[in-house]
Amino acid sequence: MDFSFFGELLEEEREITPEVTEGYRNLWVAAEAADGTLPPSTLEAIGQAREIANQIGVYVWASLLGDGVEPLAQQLIAYGADRVLVADSPSLAEYQPEVYVKILADLVGQHRPEMLLMPATSLGNDLAPRLAQRLNTGLISHCLKLTLDMSERLLLGTCPALGGEVYHTFACPQARPQMATLEPGYFRIPSADPYRSGEVKRVDLDLGGVTGRLSWLEREASVELPPVPLSRAKIVVSAGRGMGDAEGFALVQRLAEVLGAALVGSRGAFDEGWIPEDRIVGVGGQFIAPDLYIACGLSGDIYHYFGVQSARCIVAINPDENAPIMKVAHMAVVGDARQVIPAMLNALGR
Amino acid sequence: MDFSFPKEYQLFRRMVREFCESEVKPLAKVIDREHRVPHETIRKAAKLGLMGVPFPQKYGGMGGGEIGYCILMEELGRVCTSTTTVIGAHTGIGAMAIYLDGTEEQKQKYLVPLAQGTAIGAFGLTEAQAGSDAAAIKTTAVRDGNHYVLNGTKIFITNGDIADIITIMAVTDPSLGAYGGITAFIVETDTPGFSIGSLENKMGIRGSSTAECVLQDVRVPKENVLGQFGAGFLTFMKALDVGRASLGAGCLGGAEAALEASIQWARAREQFGVPIATKQAVHFMIADMAAEIEALRALVYRTAWLIDTGQPHILEASACKLFGSEVAHRCINRALQIHGALGYSRDYWIELGWRDQRITEIYEGTNEIQRIVIAANLFRPYGMRIPT
Amino acid sequence: MRMVIPIKQILDPAGITVRRDKERIFINREEYIIDPGSKAALEAALRLKEERDQAETIAISLGPARTDDALREALAMGCDAAYLLSDPAFEEADLSVATLILAAAVRKLGGADLILVGRQSGDTGAGQIGPRLAEALGYAQVTDVYALAVENGAARTTRRWGKGYATVQVQLPAVVTVAPEAFPPRYPHGARIMNAYREWNVPVWGCADLNLEPSSLTPLLTFRGESFPPPLEPERFRGNPTTVAQEVITALTLHKLINPGGGSHGL
Repeated sequence: MDFSFFGELLEEEREITPEVTEGYRNLWVAAEAADGTLPPSTLEAIGQAREIANQIGVYVWASLLGDGVEPLAQQLIAYGADRVLVADSPSLAEYQPEVYVKILADLVGQHRPEMLLMPATSLGNDLAPRLAQRLNTGLISHCLKLTLDMSERLLLGTCPALGGEVYHTFACPQARPQMATLEPGYFRIPSADPYRSGEVKRVDLDLGGVTGRLSWLEREASVELPPVPLSRAKIVVSAGRGMGDAEGFALVQRLAEVLGAALVGSRGAFDEGWIPEDRIVGVGGQFIAPDLYIACGLSGDIYHYFGVQSARCIVAINPDENAPIMKVAHMAVVGDARQVIPAMLNALGR
Repeated sequence: MDFSFPKEYQLFRRMVREFCESEVKPLAKVIDREHRVPHETIRKAAKLGLMGVPFPQKYGGMGGGEIGYCILMEELGRVCTSTTTVIGAHTGIGAMAIYLDGTEEQKQKYLVPLAQGTAIGAFGLTEAQAGSDAAAIKTTAVRDGNHYVLNGTKIFITNGDIADIITIMAVTDPSLGAYGGITAFIVETDTPGFSIGSLENKMGIRGSSTAECVLQDVRVPKENVLGQFGAGFLTFMKALDVGRASLGAGCLGGAEAALEASIQWARAREQFGVPIATKQAVHFMIADMAAEIEALRALVYRTAWLIDTGQPHILEASACKLFGSEVAHRCINRALQIHGALGYSRDYWIELGWRDQRITEIYEGTNEIQRIVIAANLFRPYGMRIPT
Repeated sequence: MRMVIPIKQILDPAGITVRRDKERIFINREEYIIDPGSKAALEAALRLKEERDQAETIAISLGPARTDDALREALAMGCDAAYLLSDPAFEEADLSVATLILAAAVRKLGGADLILVGRQSGDTGAGQIGPRLAEALGYAQVTDVYALAVENGAARTTRRWGKGYATVQVQLPAVVTVAPEAFPPRYPHGARIMNAYREWNVPVWGCADLNLEPSSLTPLLTFRGESFPPPLEPERFRGNPTTVAQEVITALTLHKLINPGGGSHGL
C-alpha cells in the first residue's frame, strides 16, 4: 500500500456540495433470499441499517428480488425494515447481474436512498460494484464496521486491508447513495418482532429490454483445487500423537478439508504412518509460515515450534495445559482434540 | 559505480528463489538419502531455462551470462548443494567447454540440447593418478580414419552416469605433454564402448552422482574434437576458470542459509531463561558470518561482471572458489556450533549442509591449487612462470 | 480471441510487519510484486491462450512508473503486450476513477473478448474492479471463478456461489474475476525475463493517449483513517468442547483467519 496516497486524499477533501445530497433520504438494504429463507447476512444488514436509521431519523427500506420471495417480505419488516419493495417474478429466479442492476438502479433513481447497504455475499460482491458503477457512486466493500459522521451525515465504512492486519475507513461525500457491503458475521442479527408493522410494495417490472447473459447450468458442492506447496499454504492443520489412532487422525484430516488447509504433522504422526515424510513440520522437516496453524494433539517442543514460529496465529488443542505448544499458542484450547474437533466441524456447519 | 543488480536479474532471482523454496528445498533431505536429484526436478528447472542460464539464447540458453548463472548457483546453494552440483557440473563445465571452444556446428548439435536441458552434460578430466596434476591423464585417443578411438578410465565424474554428453580429455600425443599433447572430445554416452563403472559413496553432495566412466574402444567422429587439436588443456582450463566464479556463488548461498538459520535458532532457543540470541558469544559468530558473506558477495558478483564484460578474471575466479569455500566452511561450522546438539542431529539440515560443504574445498581444483593459480598470476608480471 | 488482463502492483506483504500492539506498520523491505489475484488472472489467460491458435494476451496496469516492473513480469510470464497507464492526473484514482481509466485503455485496444482480473487484491481487497469494468464497458460478468473454458463465443465457468459452486455459462465479451487458489501462477521463463527488460517495450499511456479529461477523474471515496484490529493476545479456552469449539471458530472468523461462509450466499 502506498499510504501517502491516502494522506493526500485526506488533505484535499472538499466540502460536500448541496446538490449532491439534495433529495436523498432513507436507508436501503438490498436484501437477498436463498432457498426460501432470509440468510443471516441479510438479517445482519437489516439490523445495522435499523441502528443507523434510528440515529439519523430515517426509514429503513429493503428491496427483495427473486422468484417466490414475497412471503419473506414480512420477515424483513419483523427484523427492522419499514418498507419492502418486492420484485417477484419467475424471470428473476436466477441471478443475472445486468437485470438486477437495472431493477435496483431504476428503484434508486425513483426513490433516492441516502445510503444503500448490501451483504458481502457471492451475490452482493458480484452485484454491488456493478450497481455502484451504474449509479456513479462510491462503494465501500467488505465493511466490518459502519459508523456515522453526523456532522455531514456521512456513512463511514471500515474494511480490512493487508489481509485483515489493518483497517481502513472510507467515506463517500460527493455522491449518493452512499454504498457499502457488509462482511457476513461481523454484525449482530437483530431479534425479530413479528408484530412490527411496515409496508410491502410490489414493484412493476420494466426491464426495458435488458436480458441476462448468464446461463446457470448446475450446482456443485465442491471443486478440486490444485495442490498448494506447503510453503505457501495460508492455513495449516497439524496432527500429533495425541490424536490416538487412525480414527482420531481422520478428524484432523476432515478439519483440514473443511478449512481448505494443508495437512501436516509432528514426527510422531509420521511414525504412526499418518503423514508422509515431507509433511513433518519442525526441525526434522518443513518450515512453514502460514497465517493460521492449528496444532491438534501435539505437545510441540522447541524442535517442532521452530518450524512454525513464523505463523501469524497458532491454535493449540491439547488436554495438557502445560504442554509447550500451549505456552506459545495464541489460542490455547484445553481439551481433548478428539472431542473438540468434531465440535468445531459442527460449528462450521459440517 | 553502481552495485545494484539490473532489474532483469532482480526478477530472475525472485523467480529462482520461489522455485528453489517450493521445488527443491522440501526435497533436500530425500535427495541426500536417495542419492539422486529427481528427474522431475531437473525437468522443471529445464522448463524455466535454468539448465542453460549463462548461454546466449541463440544456443537455447537463457541469456543470463555469468551474473545470471551466479544468481542461480547462489539460490540453489541456499537450499541444496547436491542440486547445485548437478546443475553446476552440467552447465558450468560440461556445456561451458562446448560454448567456449565449440564450433558453430558443435554448438548447434550439442550446446542447444544441453542449454535447453533435454540433454545432461558432464566434464571428464580426472583420472586415478591425475587429480590436481591434470596433465598426468592416461586416457588415449588414436586416429582411425574419420574417427578417434578412446581408451581409458575417468573417475569422480560428476553426472557421469546421468550424462548424455561428456567432454573427455585424452592424450593424443604423449610426447608433447600438457600443452599440445592433450585434446578434448565431445563424447555421446550412448556410443558403444562407453560404460559406467562404480559410483562413489561420498560424505556429502550424495544426491549428485559421482561416477567412474570407462572408455573401451569408444569411436568418436573427428568432428567431435573440441577446440584445437592438441589444445585440450587450454579448453578445460578456460572452462574451469569460469566455473570457479559460480562455485563461489554456490558457497555464498550455503553461507547465507547457515547465517539465516543461526539467527532464527538463536531467537527461538532459550537457555538460562533467555534466548541465546542475547549472548555475545553468539553475536560474535553471527557478526563474523555476516561480514564474510558480504565480502564474498562483492567478490563473486564483481568476478561475474569481469567475465561478462570479457575482462581478465583468472585470479578473481580462483579467489571466488578459494575464499567462497572457506567462508562456507566457517559459516556452516559456526551455524552447527550455534545449533548445538541440534546441529549435530541428522533430523536437521545443518548436519547435511556441513557434510555437503566440505567438497567445495576440494572439487574443481583443490584450494591448494587455487592458491597456486593466484600466486602464479601475481608473480607472472615479474617473469616468474609457475607451472599450474 | 483478445484477452486483456488489468493487473495491480502491490507492496510485497512479506516485507511488511504490522504491529497491532504498537498500531504501526513497519516496511522492512520495500519491494513491489504483482498482486496474487492479478497473477492468477494472468495464469488463467495464458492457459486459455495455450489452448488455441489465435489468441493474444495484453496486460495493462494503472500506477506510477514503478508499475513498469509488474508489466514486464507479465510479459515474462507469457503476455504478448503490456501497457502502463500512468499520468500525474491518475495519482489520486480511487476505484471508480481506475475503472474509467482501465475502460478507456480497453477501448483504445479495440475492446476485448475476455477481461480477466483477480477476485480481490491482496492489499486493499475491495474486489470492485471486475464488475465495475464490466459495467463501464457493457460486458457480461462472472466473479469468483474457479474453472474457466472458452468455446463458441461463450465462457463456461465454475464460480463460487454461497457455500458451494455453480457452473455458469456467459456470453462474450465478458469480465471474469478469478479465485487465486484455483490458478496457481507459472514461473516466468528465464529467457523471457531477460527479454522483458532487454528486448521488449512497455508503452506508457496517459490522459492524452486515452482521451481522458483530467477534470473527469475525480475520486468518489475519501480515506478517513487507518486503525488496527486488537492484537492477538494469548487466550485460553476451557470448558465443554461444544462451547469451546464455537468460541474458537468465532474468534478465528473475527480475526479473518478463516472464512467459513466464503462470502456466502447462504450465510
